[in-house]
Amino acid sequence: MTAAGVQSSPPGAVSARLADRPVVASLRLARLYLLSRRVPAALALLVALGAFLWAALHWRWNVAGGAAAQALIPLTIETGAAAVIAVSTHGPFGDPERATGRWLPWLRLAAAVALTGAAFGALAAGAAGGVLPGGTLALLRNLAGMTGTGLLAAAAFGGAFGWIGPMAYWLATESVLAAHWTTPWIWPARPPHDRGAAICAALVFAAGIAAVTLLGARDSGRRPAPD
Amino acid sequence: MTAVADAPARHRPPRAGGAATLTAARLLRIELRRSAMPWILPVIAVLFWFDSYRFSGGAPPFWVQRTFWNMGQGRTFLDFAPFVAGAAAWIGSRDGRRRTADLVTGAVWPRWAAQLAAWAAAAIWAVGAYLVFVGVMFGVYAYQEGLQGSPPWWWVAVGATAVAAFTTAGFAVGAFFPSRFAAPAAAFGAFLAVIVSDQNGFRDTSGWPLILPTNANGNYQPVSGIFYPYLPDLPIARVMLLGGLAVVAIGVLGLPARAGSGRLRAAAALVTLAGVAAAGTASVLVRTARLTPQGIAIPALHDAANDRPIGYTPVCAQAAGVPVCLNPAYRRYLAEIAADLRPVLAEVAGLPGAPIRVAQVAGRYASGMFEDQDGVTVTISGTPPVLRLPLDVFNTLPSATPGSTGQFDQEMALLSVHEFVAGNGVGTAAQQAVQAALLQHAGMPFAAQPQALEIFGLPNWAGADLQGLVVGSESAAGPGSPRGPVYAAARRFAALPSATRHAWLAAHLAALRSGQLTLGQLP
Repeated sequence: MTAAGVQSSPPGAVSARLADRPVVASLRLARLYLLSRRVPAALALLVALGAFLWAALHWRWNVAGGAAAQALIPLTIETGAAAVIAVSTHGPFGDPERATGRWLPWLRLAAAVALTGAAFGALAAGAAGGVLPGGTLALLRNLAGMTGTGLLAAAAFGGAFGWIGPMAYWLATESVLAAHWTTPWIWPARPPHDRGAAICAALVFAAGIAAVTLLGARDSGRRPAPD
Repeated sequence: MTAVADAPARHRPPRAGGAATLTAARLLRIELRRSAMPWILPVIAVLFWFDSYRFSGGAPPFWVQRTFWNMGQGRTFLDFAPFVAGAAAWIGSRDGRRRTADLVTGAVWPRWAAQLAAWAAAAIWAVGAYLVFVGVMFGVYAYQEGLQGSPPWWWVAVGATAVAAFTTAGFAVGAFFPSRFAAPAAAFGAFLAVIVSDQNGFRDTSGWPLILPTNANGNYQPVSGIFYPYLPDLPIARVMLLGGLAVVAIGVLGLPARAGSGRLRAAAALVTLAGVAAAGTASVLVRTARLTPQGIAIPALHDAANDRPIGYTPVCAQAAGVPVCLNPAYRRYLAEIAADLRPVLAEVAGLPGAPIRVAQVAGRYASGMFEDQDGVTVTISGTPPVLRLPLDVFNTLPSATPGSTGQFDQEMALLSVHEFVAGNGVGTAAQQAVQAALLQHAGMPFAAQPQALEIFGLPNWAGADLQGLVVGSESAAGPGSPRGPVYAAARRFAALPSATRHAWLAAHLAALRSGQLTLGQLP
């Protein structure tokens, strides 16, 4: 048994000279970051949720109840998409990554925005299966707002528990819809062109993006997250 | 002395079971300390307060009505389900996420046993928190709000079992699909299940959907806990189903080859089958459910002792010399009801068939959400006649809600006078006119009567009486003002001196009740 070959790079690895190039290094960094956040799996789940929405609208799956109930399944799917985005902020490296990752805030920002865009694309494509209550505008507003709640929850409880935000928000919303409240903070209850609801959802999304960009998910820094 | 007596005493070897129990207790203690479940409890607490407690605040102060939303429709466990499922999935996926499954497979304890310790810790946290939250809410209800009747303990048991079932299902998802996305996937699945069952619980009034713990149709109505005990039949079936599903999930965890020895896996298979049997039996039993006046009864689970009414000593007040007696749970309404009935009873005092007593009676279960879907039925029956009030069927009781007291006052007078003049059917024109005149003298002006006849929950005769009183003057804006021949006759009759009106009624009441009189025959 010899040590021959121990120092050779694994197949597919970037050579040292190539890696010195800034563009290649940046791309490699981005790729590794996305892999560490399980973004490919997140994208697959978002596509699956889009397909689920398509099926729900195409075959008119529905539940009993009035107009609010008609939007129940689409909104639940949007909640699921927001939960997936929030969970993708979970990082496995903690302190070492924070200490050495100069580009980390930008990577977090780019990943969160890109995943939100991808989620919107997947769900908008899924909405082609039938008539989505509220249309694409309401979809964008609701998804952005719920994603904001998820990112805020990720910053507060940890990336792995980011799904708590959208779930809690939607459960509270479901009660409020039944009680016919009309506050703009419950944006799914408002019409798609409602300015107040759009502003509230945008504020929550911006707050979530800012929290995840600047602080990161709770478990990626000094503050320990639950096991 | 015998050889047996000389033989040295043999000590029993130390019991291995005791050491195993101690080790299991230690393992459970470690899992309880490191469980992720407590982290989500503050979020659930906030949601529980907002959704389960706050949204049930407007209901009348009876256990069965105040807890209709959070227990009857299952909001308490609905607030728990997605979160405990997601957190349990995170806990269950621990070995897989950390790539330590191989390590724990080779440990002294079988993998299934170690998983059971982690699951038990998660379930203890989840169910314990559920019981604490519900206990605090019930404490506020009992000591701060003074609710009447009895708490729905069986529904608490159903909720606790549901929380355990969702915890177990989430744990199994995490164990079989170890990923960071297992938690949101389990939460999403639980969320979808409870939301869909919650919505469909409004619609289905019979058959297997009754097993859904969010379905309040025909099994959570105001007569329970006050006049009759809550029937435990349906809750028992629900506990069987949810408990069975939880046992299935636990058993399935022990089926893979890495879970333990062959004997252990055989035991896991038996556990799985037992769970399937329990859940299947519950599903079959619920199809035999039938509606009784006391609630949903399942013959195989029914105890006839639960059909016996709850005994009570009525509380009474006087109204125009007539005793008005209620169940003590309704004591707070006694003065209001006596005041409402006083002018009505004074108007009819001494007439044939006039009630000499007013008594509260129990309503009856109906197949939907509420008792007596056909409307409130006040009756005068018996010898001597007694006015019987099913107060639990009333759509509105006096409360802090604006307008509720006024509506109740109108409803009480209207129902009593209609029953006295026309019984429970649609009144003839003459009966409608006399009813309107008596109501006018009982404190309900003619102008207010059309609105009173539109109160939600009144029997069908109210619509016909309204048509007779307003004769097409109603519009989208409201019922319109009284006019037409019935109104004219009512005004004429009401204008008579009290003694003349009373004497005419004493002479013609039998003919009036039997529908033989026409408007023209009224004085």
